[in-house]
Amino acid sequence: MSLESSVSVPRRRKCAGRSALPGKIAARLGSGVLVLWAAVSLSFLSLYLAPGDIVSLLVGEQLRTPEIEAAIRAEWGLDQPLWLQYLHYLWRVLHGDFGRSYLLNSEVGTLLLSQLWPTLKLTGAALGVSLLFAVTVATLTAGRPLGRRVAGALELLLASTPSFWLGIVLLFVFSFTLRWFPVAGDRNLAALVLPALSLGLAQGAVVAQVLRRGLEDALAEPFALTLRAWGVSNLTIRLRHGLRHAALPAVTLTGWLVGGLLGGAVITEQVFGRPGLGKVTVDAVLGKDLPVVLAVAIFSAFIYVVMSTLVDILYLLIDPRLRTPRPTGEAQP
Amino acid sequence: MNKMHLPLLTASALLLAFAAHAANDTPQPGGHLIWGVETEPNTLNPQLNGQSKAELILRVAYESLLARKANGEFIPWLATGYQVSEDGKTYTFTLRPDVTFSDGRKLDAQAVAENFRHTQQPGYCAGSSLCALGRHIATVETPDDGTVRITLKEAYSPFLSFAAGLKLLSPAAWASPQLKAGGPEIAGTGPFILKRYDKGQQIEFVRNPAYRWASANAAHQGPAYLEGVTYRFLPESSVRTGALLSGQVDVIEGISGNDAGEFKQNPDFSYQHALNPGTPYSLFLNVKHGPTQSLNVRQALLQGLDIAPLLASIYRGERTRTWGITSPVDPLYDNSLDGKYGNNPALANRLLDEAGWATRDAEGFRTQQGQRLSIEIIQAQATVRDQRDVLLQAIQAQARQRLGVELKIRYVDAGTYVDLRNSGQFGSIANSNTETDGIDIENHYLPVNAGGSINYSRTDAPEIIPLLEGASQTLDNTERKAFYGRLQSFAILQQAVAVPLYEPEDQIAAASYVHGVGFRPFKQMPENAYDVWLSDH
Repeated sequence: MSLESSVSVPRRRKCAGRSALPGKIAARLGSGVLVLWAAVSLSFLSLYLAPGDIVSLLVGEQLRTPEIEAAIRAEWGLDQPLWLQYLHYLWRVLHGDFGRSYLLNSEVGTLLLSQLWPTLKLTGAALGVSLLFAVTVATLTAGRPLGRRVAGALELLLASTPSFWLGIVLLFVFSFTLRWFPVAGDRNLAALVLPALSLGLAQGAVVAQVLRRGLEDALAEPFALTLRAWGVSNLTIRLRHGLRHAALPAVTLTGWLVGGLLGGAVITEQVFGRPGLGKVTVDAVLGKDLPVVLAVAIFSAFIYVVMSTLVDILYLLIDPRLRTPRPTGEAQP
Repeated sequence: MNKMHLPLLTASALLLAFAAHAANDTPQPGGHLIWGVETEPNTLNPQLNGQSKAELILRVAYESLLARKANGEFIPWLATGYQVSEDGKTYTFTLRPDVTFSDGRKLDAQAVAENFRHTQQPGYCAGSSLCALGRHIATVETPDDGTVRITLKEAYSPFLSFAAGLKLLSPAAWASPQLKAGGPEIAGTGPFILKRYDKGQQIEFVRNPAYRWASANAAHQGPAYLEGVTYRFLPESSVRTGALLSGQVDVIEGISGNDAGEFKQNPDFSYQHALNPGTPYSLFLNVKHGPTQSLNVRQALLQGLDIAPLLASIYRGERTRTWGITSPVDPLYDNSLDGKYGNNPALANRLLDEAGWATRDAEGFRTQQGQRLSIEIIQAQATVRDQRDVLLQAIQAQARQRLGVELKIRYVDAGTYVDLRNSGQFGSIANSNTETDGIDIENHYLPVNAGGSINYSRTDAPEIIPLLEGASQTLDNTERKAFYGRLQSFAILQQAVAVPLYEPEDQIAAASYVHGVGFRPFKQMPENAYDVWLSDH
C-alpha cells in the first residue's frame, strides 16, 4: 500500500450552501472519522488477505516447533478469531494504543511519533519549494511566449526527472563537490535544503503549468484590461488579481501534491539518509508488519482529511462568491 | 654556512622526520569516529538480531565468552578458558573475575547462565536462531561464581561456536520492557556504551572508561582509543562513497565494485575487503518441484553456465567466484571442487537433449511435449543487495543463449516468500548465509522436516544424513572437514542441488588518518572500533 491510497482528491464544492462554517466543519469531521475507520478496516482486511501467514513470518527462516508457534500466537494475540482481533485493535486505537511492531519489537505509537516530525519537516519544506517555484515561474512567464517556452521545457524536465536521480545529482554538486550542504541526517536547516529541493521541484513544475494556464486565462479577462487602463502595473495585476483567479485549480492540485510528497519522501529519505516515515513504512509493508502498516494508514488518512478540509476552507477564503449564501432552487426577488 | 652545522642539521631533520613518522605509528587516544553504514539494525538486542551487517555496530558494546583466531581456534575473552567432556556433551566455562557490565552489574556465573537459559524460552527467542541452538541444552549449572557448566542432550559440535559467540546481556536486561527492542537500557560489557539511537539516522556509542578485558586477539588492552563512535545510516552506496570522498564521514563499509577504484588508487584513503564466512550466494535448485526435479536439468545448469566472466563484468573483478557449500575462509572448507565444473555448454546441451528437452519453440527455448523448460528463481525483495539483481539477469541471459533454458526471476515480498518456501512451489531460491562451523551447512542440507530451516533445494537424499551426523558428533576438525568434503562432492558434483555463484564479502574504505580499522578474524566482518585511532588531520 502506498501512502497515497485510500484517499480522494478534494473536489471543488459548487455550492457552499446556506450552512455556516461551523456546520460545514462538523460535517467534515464526521466524514473524516468515517474515512479513518474505513482506512483502518480495509488495511486490516487486505493485510490478512495478503499472502503469508503472520506466524510463519514471525518465525522467519528459523526453527519451527509447535511450542515456538504457540509462544508467538500468545504473545501477539493471534490465537483469537480474526473479528475479535479486529475489535480489540479498534478499541485499543481509540485509546491511543497502536500496539507493538512485529519487526522492530518496539511501540508503534512512539516509533511513528519519532519519525513523524522529520517527515513533516521534509514534506513541509518540499511543499514550500513547490509553491514558491510554481508561483514565481508562473507569474514571471504567463502570457510571455519566450519565457513560457523556456519555463515549459524546464518544467517538463523537472517533472519527468526521478527524484532519486535528482537527489543524487544535487548531492554530487552541492554536497560532495562544493560541500555547501551536509549529506545526511536531520540535524539542522542546511540538511533540509537538498532533500526539499529534490522532492519539491518535480511537483512544483506540475503546479506551475496549471497555475500559468489559469493566470493566462485571468489576464485575458475584461477586468485585467480595466486595471491596465487604470495604470496598475503589470506585476501588481499578476500578483494581486491574476493569481487569485488562477489559484483555485492550483489549490486543488496542492491536495494531490501533499500525497505525492508523502509518497516521494520514501525515496528522498533513503537517498539522503534521513529519518522519517518513508523507510519505516516500506519495510513494514514488505515485512507485513501489521501494527505499523495500520498506524501509517490511520495517519495518512488523517492527513488527507485535514488537507482536504483545509483546501475547502481555502476555497471560501479565495473566492468570495462561495462565501455569500447563494439561493438554491427558485430565484428570490 | 659553517660546515660544522651540516651534520647537526641533518640529524635534526632526521629526528623531525622520525618524530613525524612516530606520530603516525603510535596510537593516540581521543577523537570521535563517524562511520557510514548501509544497514540499520532492526532490533538492537544483539541476541535477537539476525542481520549479519548489524554485528559491525552491536559488537562494540556486547561481548562473548570466547574470541576466535583466523584459523577458527578459540581464545580467552570474558571466559579465561573452557573444557569439553569426553562424550562431547558437557561444556564448562571459567569466567574472568573482573568483568562488569556498563550498568555496574558484575559478570558472574549467574549472569551468564541466565543468558543461556533464555535461549530455551520460545517467548524470548522465537524468530531468531537462538531457539535452534538453545534446544540442544539439557541443563545450565553454576557450581561456583566463576564457573558455568552447560550439558547438552546429545553431542553437537557446532554448539561451542554458538556458546562462545553468544553476546551477553546484563542481568538487568531481562526485566526491561525494552528487552526485545534493545537499546541504551540493555547493558553489555563492551569497550563502548550505547548512548543514543536516532532511528533512521544514526547510533552513537561512547567510550567505556572501565574497560580492561579485551580478548587476546585485540591489538591493545585497556579502554578504547576513541572517545566515541557514531554509525550513520546511509543506505545508498553512491551516497556513502560521496560522503567519504568529501570528508563528511571517516569510514564507510559496503562499497560497490564500481566505486572500489575511487579509493584503491587514492593515497588519501585506504581500501580493504574480506570474504564472508558461510554459504556462498548460490542458486539452490528445487529437487521436488518443476523441471529441476530432473538430475539432468540440474546438472545442465551447473555444468553449462559460466559464472566467472559475469562476475568480472558486473563487479569489475571485485567479487570472488566460489565452487563449494561453504566459504573459502571457513576452516571446514574443502577446495577440491574449485574449477571442477561449469563452462561446458556442450555437455549441458547433451544432458538436456537426453532428458527429453530436445525441441525448441519460436523464441528458442527448449520444450518437451509443448511445455517450455522454464525455471522460476525466487528472491526475497529484502535480500536484494550488492547488485544481485543484475547478476541474476546476466545468468538469465546466459541460460537462454547457451542452454535454451528460461529462467524467470521473481522478487517477492516477505509474505509471498514464506508461502512459497513453505509450500515448495518454486524452481530455485537464490540466497547466501553467514553462519560458521557447519551450522550453515546443517541449515541448508538437513531435510526440511528435521530442522533444515533454509534447505532451499528441499533435498532429503538419504546419503546426506550420516555425513551431517558424523560431522556434528566429532570434535576433531580434520574429521569434520572430511565429512563435509564428502557432503559437498555429493550435493554439488553428483546431485547438483545448488549452483554456487560468489562469496559475499565486506569492504571498508577509510580516510588515511583512520588507523586500525579492519576485519574481525574468522568471522571476517568489519569490526573493532576498539582498536581504531585517529592521527592528526
